Amino acid sequence: MVDLSQYLPILIFLIIALGLSALFVFLPMGVARLTGAHNPDAEKLSEYECGFPAFEDPRSQFDVRFYLVAILFIIFDLEAAFLFPWAVTVFDLGWSAWIGMMIFLGILTVGFVYEWKSGALDWE
Amino acid sequence: MIQTLAFYLFAFLVLASGVFTILARNPVHSVLWLILAFFNAAGLMILVGAEFIAALLVIVYVGAVAVLFLFVVMMLDIDFAELRAGFVKNFPLGIAIALVLLAELILGIGAYRAGALELGVPDGSAAPLMDRSNLENLGTVLYGKYLFLFEAAGIILLVAMVGAIALTHRGRPEGARGHQDIGKQVRRRPGEATEMKKPEIGKGVEL
Repeated sequence: MVDLSQYLPILIFLIIALGLSALFVFLPMGVARLTGAHNPDAEKLSEYECGFPAFEDPRSQFDVRFYLVAILFIIFDLEAAFLFPWAVTVFDLGWSAWIGMMIFLGILTVGFVYEWKSGALDWE
Repeated sequence: MIQTLAFYLFAFLVLASGVFTILARNPVHSVLWLILAFFNAAGLMILVGAEFIAALLVIVYVGAVAVLFLFVVMMLDIDFAELRAGFVKNFPLGIAIALVLLAELILGIGAYRAGALELGVPDGSAAPLMDRSNLENLGTVLYGKYLFLFEAAGIILLVAMVGAIALTHRGRPEGARGHQDIGKQVRRRPGEATEMKKPEIGKGVEL
């Protein structure tokens, strides 16, 4: 069983953060409701652009290159995640683990070279 | 006591944010609820003692997968009316997938009831693993017994990388700016870059 008592400060921080964020959200709402005029109207929530109604939907389609960058980031993120248990145990496991990780890194480096040379990292 | 309270806090938040992931009308809000669910799942993982899995949830799922989801959601041109229209037609399929997931849950609980997994190797040559952190246990198993599967994971990652590039990367359009050729810049000499002219008086410069 893992000793969870070390996580108690994090839990306390979490509870304080939850309380403060709830306070920051609901306190201004409550104060505004109690002190100000409360006249909700659909027109107040409608889009409004320099005196005109909005011309088009503000959400435009993203370029597919963002997806490419994100998926390449995931792959190298996973590579880094695999390094953590390796770094703790490589001295116990010896050369086989070391060589295995070097082969793994080599495989991904092949991919990295391909990625670099094919221009997937360039952003014009 | 505190652990029980924390468990119910995290479990309630996981369930609530999972429900809101489905119910949110805006897909970007769905992804944000999903991120909250990932964070609380990390809290649950810490409670059961799987600290490395919790760290992975935050690093990989919140840090990378959620960003990927956000980009995909923003990339797709989602029409809400069209999405709603397919609901009745796809309802049996959704029910079928939900049943498959339910069967997997029951199987998982059954497998858990059947007994604990042995972390050591079958012949008992590995040292008892209980007194070490689960990071070390994981490393011992992953880089010892399952080394070849680990290399296979590397090859899968390579395939994913090449596949993503092949699917989405369009070659550079002709005449695109912004590509820096450092070798070309370094090779450049003052003689090629500038040209001295001595125009005669009364005549212009011929370029």
